[in-house]
Amino acid sequence: MKNRIEIVASGFGGQGVVRLGQIIGETGVKQGLHVAMLKSHGTEMRGGYVRSQVVLSQDIIDSPMCESPDYFIALSSAAYKRFKDTVADDGLILYDPAFVDEVDEALACTQKAVPAKELSMENFDNALFANTLVLGFIARLVNALDKEIMLESVLEIIPKFHNRNRKAFQIGYDYQS
Amino acid sequence: MEYRATEITSRYLRSRKIPSTACSGCGLGMNHKIVIQAVKELGLEVPDIVWGTSIGCAGRQTFATWKGDGFAGTHGRVYAIARGLRIALPPEKKIILTVGDGDAFGIGLTHLIHSARSNADMTVIVNDNLGYQSTGGQYGWTTPQGSKTDSSPYGMFEHNLMSEGMDVLKILKGAGATFLARHVAMDGAWAVETVKKGILNTGFSLIHMPYPCPTNFGSRELGSRNQVNIFRWIRDHSAPLGEEKEDTFWATGIWHDASNSRPEFSQFVHETVEKIRRTGTI
Amino acid sequence: MKRFLETGNFAITEGAILAGCRFFAGYPITPATELAEAMSFRLPQEGGVYLQAEDETAAMHMCIGASLGGYKAMTATSGPGFILYADPYGWALGCETPLVVLNSGRVGPVSGITGAPGQGEFYLTRYPTQGGNFEAICLAPNSAQECMAMTVEAFYLSERFRMPVTVLADQLITDGFEDISVPENEEEMKKMGFRTWSRKIHQGPDFYPATDEIDIPPVVLGHNTGALCSDWTPTEEGYDIEEVEAHHKHAYRLIYKVRNHRDLFNHHYDKKFMDDDPDLIVVSYGTPSRVVNTAVSKARDEGLKVGALRLINLWPFPDEFFGAKTKYLAVELNWDGQLVREVQRAVPKDSEVHFLGSCGDLPTIPDLIETFEKVLKDEPLARKGWKLEAW
Repeated sequence: MKNRIEIVASGFGGQGVVRLGQIIGETGVKQGLHVAMLKSHGTEMRGGYVRSQVVLSQDIIDSPMCESPDYFIALSSAAYKRFKDTVADDGLILYDPAFVDEVDEALACTQKAVPAKELSMENFDNALFANTLVLGFIARLVNALDKEIMLESVLEIIPKFHNRNRKAFQIGYDYQS
Repeated sequence: MEYRATEITSRYLRSRKIPSTACSGCGLGMNHKIVIQAVKELGLEVPDIVWGTSIGCAGRQTFATWKGDGFAGTHGRVYAIARGLRIALPPEKKIILTVGDGDAFGIGLTHLIHSARSNADMTVIVNDNLGYQSTGGQYGWTTPQGSKTDSSPYGMFEHNLMSEGMDVLKILKGAGATFLARHVAMDGAWAVETVKKGILNTGFSLIHMPYPCPTNFGSRELGSRNQVNIFRWIRDHSAPLGEEKEDTFWATGIWHDASNSRPEFSQFVHETVEKIRRTGTI
Repeated sequence: MKRFLETGNFAITEGAILAGCRFFAGYPITPATELAEAMSFRLPQEGGVYLQAEDETAAMHMCIGASLGGYKAMTATSGPGFILYADPYGWALGCETPLVVLNSGRVGPVSGITGAPGQGEFYLTRYPTQGGNFEAICLAPNSAQECMAMTVEAFYLSERFRMPVTVLADQLITDGFEDISVPENEEEMKKMGFRTWSRKIHQGPDFYPATDEIDIPPVVLGHNTGALCSDWTPTEEGYDIEEVEAHHKHAYRLIYKVRNHRDLFNHHYDKKFMDDDPDLIVVSYGTPSRVVNTAVSKARDEGLKVGALRLINLWPFPDEFFGAKTKYLAVELNWDGQLVREVQRAVPKDSEVHFLGSCGDLPTIPDLIETFEKVLKDEPLARKGWKLEAW
């Protein structure tokens, strides 16, 4: 793996952004990697955001900040606008078109739309499983993360609805954007 | 504050601090003797009590007088120290605090209220010399209205905790204290009986005990350092509960006795912790 | 050894329990609240007591009381609460009461922003109370794992020196999640370099000897040793006394028991690229030091001869690591410059000392590298207005 992988997830409060980062981080810990995960909250007024910054590394992690993320999971328009320019040129932005309506085509990095909310509604009649879907997608995308360990972490950190979370994870994993 | 060498002084007090550095004619020794007499009559020994003191005349003059272990808190904090200590001490050890009115009813009132709230087992003797006397004689929160002090040269005109029907003991009762009483220093054997009851309460007890300060309060308010004047003035302005007159400042006697009616703080905490440790729940 | 993805607050809690802490009193304040919550959950499981106090002053005084009763005790707060500790901190210093105090710094002055990290209490941890005539001990971890280690170490030092010890962290470390290894037995603790010291009881009669000795047991009340402790200048037996000579003895002890046992501090500093006499030494502590480490590594890749000196033991200040006559840059989470003053004091005469501060957020790596370049090229670091254009 690359020696240091930076993953940022950001959206608005209540979307489970911190938990998303925690699951990625827990997967790293279970794989024996060093992990740092900062959670931060922007202003709570309109346009505010919640952000998880996850660093995965085989070495001890110096800076815990994701200054040029390899992966950016954008779950709100405000978060997309705020952090899109920080993503490394060879990095990737993963966004949910249900929340991010306007995409900056001028960016050098790759951008993939994953309609997690829509897929969650379609399959479960509930938007609750969108994050698990995103995590499934990430598990395929990020080579350093092991699919089975990631699923184990999902089931450990989200104690409820194990069957549906298992299914959502697989849907995300199989999704071709 | 004079002590004659008696059986009880040699049994309970350190000779090094006696005589104390208190002013001539100070009434604090009368209060102190009442408490020591109560300790003796209860048959308590030196190792049974850890003694805490406050800042100011009452604290400084009683600090390290007790033959056993002693501690002094800074301004108003001894009640918080005592609560932490209460958790650590075995329940059979008594904590007695001899403190002043400024410490207890001014700077330490929050901590005092929370000690009453938690019903932590301690007996607080508030030795009230009617103001801040060790700093030269400024008014306090129980100084009778109208009194002339160094910081109230026209007479103390603020509302305080003893004016217009207000009583600091009401606050403490509301907060959950399980034993509250008031005596003046001249109450002697009657006060001893009350202090004994206070010590026997496994919970928060407080006895408010105004005493004469001839040097500062007496000289400013009564115009004389003659101790007889201030002794008489305090005696004349006190009356047993139910026998108050118009000019009574201090109604004396047991004001509220709910001894052993509520669980004691440290025992309750330890029992609960033990239950959590064993069962994971309360 | 168990591994977790957990916060610095979790690490501190586990560290305290490993060190034998069985009493915690605190008052809710962001970002130390989660530590109090973790303590309220974990301590009862270990037979320990968690108490919520009516204010920070009471919280630390309750810890003093518990420590006087023989418990190992701890409290935690952030800057606005740490300032209220000034009162009990002085008491504990004077009566030589072992205690551990955690301060998780946030941007100030006063309440500032609850969710933004700060390093505004550098000097406050040196002078956590009034009056002078004492030395203070302060440890500054820069990761969750080190939070655990430094909490254990703080308990160890507080017992041996019998005094309060401050652990100075910041919001990013205490709230941030990291992989944390928790030792499960004494052997694993030893392997991780954790040192512990059990509470002993002073038997008297000289509770406050006029010496610089350490390992003197502290005062523990309730054992009928005749122990005395107060806020006054003590005689050696603990009586209050108003004599300057007695105070000389007291002050001598409070200062020199620490100064004369510097060999006990295992964790003076951490260094990166310091072996080839760097042209610029970047000094920092806490979270900024981690960004500094990354920036210094990158700067080395670009050919800049920069080294990083990270302080763990803030107080007593490790003067001995500032012997090189070279350029220094202090990086800290404030705009007024606190650590930089101490660096200025410690370096050899005619050394150049520069400052890069950030206020409420961490410096970025490009900012740092640009600053290194400017300092190395003798370009001025002028500040223009409130916007961080250049230093």
